[in-house]
Amino acid sequence: MGYLTDSFAAAVELIFSFDQELRLTVWTSLYTSSCAIIVAALIGIPAGLSLGINRFRGRRLMITLLNTLMALPTVVVGLVLFGLFSRQGPAGSLGLLFTPWAMIAGQTVLATPIVANYVLAAVSGSDQRIMDTVLTLGATRFQAGVQLLKEIRFGVMAAVIAGFGRVISEVGVAMMLGGNIRGSTRTMTTSIALETSKGEFAFGLSLGIVLLSVSLFVNLFLNLLQQR
Amino acid sequence: MEPVISITDLLVSQGESFSLSIASLDLMPRRIYALTGPNGAGKSTLLRTLALLTVPQRGRIRFTDADCGSLPQQRQKVTFVEQSPYLLTGTVSDNLAFGLKLRGIRGKEQQKRIKSALKMVGLDGFENRKANELSGGEVQRVALARALVLEPKVLLLDEPTSNVDSKSLQAFETLLRRLPDHGVTVVLATHDLFLAERLGGEILRIENGCLLDRTHRSSDHNSIKEKKTWLKLLNAQGL
Repeated sequence: MGYLTDSFAAAVELIFSFDQELRLTVWTSLYTSSCAIIVAALIGIPAGLSLGINRFRGRRLMITLLNTLMALPTVVVGLVLFGLFSRQGPAGSLGLLFTPWAMIAGQTVLATPIVANYVLAAVSGSDQRIMDTVLTLGATRFQAGVQLLKEIRFGVMAAVIAGFGRVISEVGVAMMLGGNIRGSTRTMTTSIALETSKGEFAFGLSLGIVLLSVSLFVNLFLNLLQQR
Repeated sequence: MEPVISITDLLVSQGESFSLSIASLDLMPRRIYALTGPNGAGKSTLLRTLALLTVPQRGRIRFTDADCGSLPQQRQKVTFVEQSPYLLTGTVSDNLAFGLKLRGIRGKEQQKRIKSALKMVGLDGFENRKANELSGGEVQRVALARALVLEPKVLLLDEPTSNVDSKSLQAFETLLRRLPDHGVTVVLATHDLFLAERLGGEILRIENGCLLDRTHRSSDHNSIKEKKTWLKLLNAQGL
């Protein structure tokens, strides 16, 4: 028990000492995850909306595919993109492997199906009268879609936050595509894995606390917006 | 006079159990049409089809002046108020401004029209009220104002008095009766035959997806023949 409490005390001290390595690791995590979720939102929100409001051949199949992609193992995404970005791979000449950009690409692949699926669920569960009302007021289908997103904005925000939660807490993609390079691609999760294996439990614990705090703040922010 | 809406050989199927079929129907401008009939007769389906929300399997709906336009342009001539209207998030003013913005009406003209429409439905000073804080009757009136502010050629109303209290009913009816004078053709679905009669205009009876007959309720509707038809209608409704 003493080991745990001592480690916790050391972790808290590390956080409040604003340790440079800790700060850099947290920044890398937030930066890559934020970039990934922005791209994922730009793709996933229109995709989910389109699947929700349009009826076309193959829609069921696409929804099934989307559901399957939600459970994509991070190491599989890492593996496929590793092949793509490695020197012998088709995109090898871009030199993206072991850079934050490769991590952002991988995390975008992970987050997009989540965002799209959550938006699809929000659209499917929304009041049918919204689209009818907006269309009868003279909106085009595109304008009606935009208005529908405004009406279901909490569902859309939940989608983005769920996607963010997925990417900020994943290890596989960050490890395989980023390479866990100190000061460049080391994220909170890869750092926790590394430091714990090195026996630096307190450092790992401090990152774990920060990771949980980020999740807490994101959810508090959502609640605050919902109350407005 | 050219009809504002002309329906020819219309067929709207909803699953295997129900279809609305109207061989021919002309709706003249500046008139009130009351669609009556039992539940599931096809009144709302006809309104939704006229509002271009439901696509017919067969037939043609022709709107005067609007045939050449795109679907949203055609929709801008017709406005539909549902039985339980949905108010968009925001204030009453936001709701009324939505359709106006789509038509490029902004600024002072927008404010003027919003004020005037709210006054018409007896909701003076409601501009800044939050839409989600209104009562059922107020929601219905805001939805009507949101439709009227667009100055549509055709106003489609589904059970417009279902949430209106008895105190506001008379004012509501007076408003509806005046709309043809402002160039609006009103088509409303109602179970209330007395309301249909009080509004004047024509009563279109629909049953099992078919238009059974039309009765003209004008100021000279006291002829014996009309009275007999009226009694027949009331009996058919079980009133």
